[in-house]
Amino acid sequence: MGKIIVMTSGKGGVGKTTSSAAFATGLALRGFKTVVIDFDVGLRNLDLVMGCERRVVFDFINVINGEAKLNQALIKDKRVDNLYILPTSQTRDKDALTKEGVERILNELCKEFDYIVCDSPAGIERGALMSLYFADHAIIVTNPEVSSVRDSDRILGVLNSKSRRAEQGMEPVTQQLLLTRYDPERVEKGEMLKVDDVLEILAIPLLGVIPESQAVLRASNIGMPVILDENSNAGQAYLDAVGRFLGEDVEHRFTTVQKKGLFSRLLRRSA
Amino acid sequence: MSIFSFFRSAPKTSAVQAKERLQIVMAHERVGRSGPDYLPMLQQELLAVIAKYVDIDANKVEVKLDRGGDCSTLEVNIELPGRDQIKAPAAKDSTPSKPANGLGKDEDDDKATPIKSAASVLTNGGVSKRR
Repeated sequence: MGKIIVMTSGKGGVGKTTSSAAFATGLALRGFKTVVIDFDVGLRNLDLVMGCERRVVFDFINVINGEAKLNQALIKDKRVDNLYILPTSQTRDKDALTKEGVERILNELCKEFDYIVCDSPAGIERGALMSLYFADHAIIVTNPEVSSVRDSDRILGVLNSKSRRAEQGMEPVTQQLLLTRYDPERVEKGEMLKVDDVLEILAIPLLGVIPESQAVLRASNIGMPVILDENSNAGQAYLDAVGRFLGEDVEHRFTTVQKKGLFSRLLRRSA
Repeated sequence: MSIFSFFRSAPKTSAVQAKERLQIVMAHERVGRSGPDYLPMLQQELLAVIAKYVDIDANKVEVKLDRGGDCSTLEVNIELPGRDQIKAPAAKDSTPSKPANGLGKDEDDDKATPIKSAASVLTNGGVSKRR
């Protein structure tokens, strides 16, 4: 029986799609059969980040409406075994997501996959609510920045009251924090909230800290999940986070300023 | 850097200010949604009843629901005007500024509060910490 993970944040632009793509890829790299679903109806982007935009024929909404079979809409990743993408519709609106429809598709996917990663749209509207409603695990993507932290807190409130697990009095959705775009240098200067500050405010366990990294843009430019860029800090941080998600005890990296050695200072190389 | 700057306390960094602002605003927001939907109504109705008999300040009422492992407590704090407050109306009002979800330090309320009525009611056990 597959587990449903929602990547959510409330606020837009914090890295939900980047993280969904990276995380799903990471789980597939570990051998788990994984599908990542775009819930941002009308603003499809996961396909671009995953580099499969030209292979989209049918989408999530087509399957919900019975216009296509699930297998017709699922796109198999060309780089990683066990990884599938379910793109969303670019033309319809979010009302196309019905609770019954989403439930039916997720149930079907749960039979076939180990993990279903739901990439939530921003906001707390229908699309976001549908993406988190059936979740077993929630990964809260947050930037060390006031509006993102506040919105994350809001979305935690929604998870605790409006998810299926909350409504049916089941064991609550597990919640973990993924702090993205973290810049240790600015933290050291007192210009950015520390990991511990955010943890203290949101009071949920830390899954990982993804450092601000140029590799993220480079990866999305070419349609590759950044986790496949194993030389980058961000890629390594995502690999670590996936390990922690699977219960491994992985030490946090990239949370402090890395002192540059003489050699790298001479070469002026940036990570 | 002058030698005097050593004695001056360092100005708050913007990150510290961010944290403080977040803690304050989120404490308020969590109170609004921390409890079941009836909490604001309950607060209003309680106020209305008490206001019939005592002249109370609406800002000095705090209705709070704490969720514990096995049980939850509903705490109603109403600050009643004390006798000496008529003489000295400028009594320190510490209660309204206190972050209600316990993020702030526990304050020593005894001095500021002339009479305090507190009622605790046990409700059904809530499993989750917040809602």
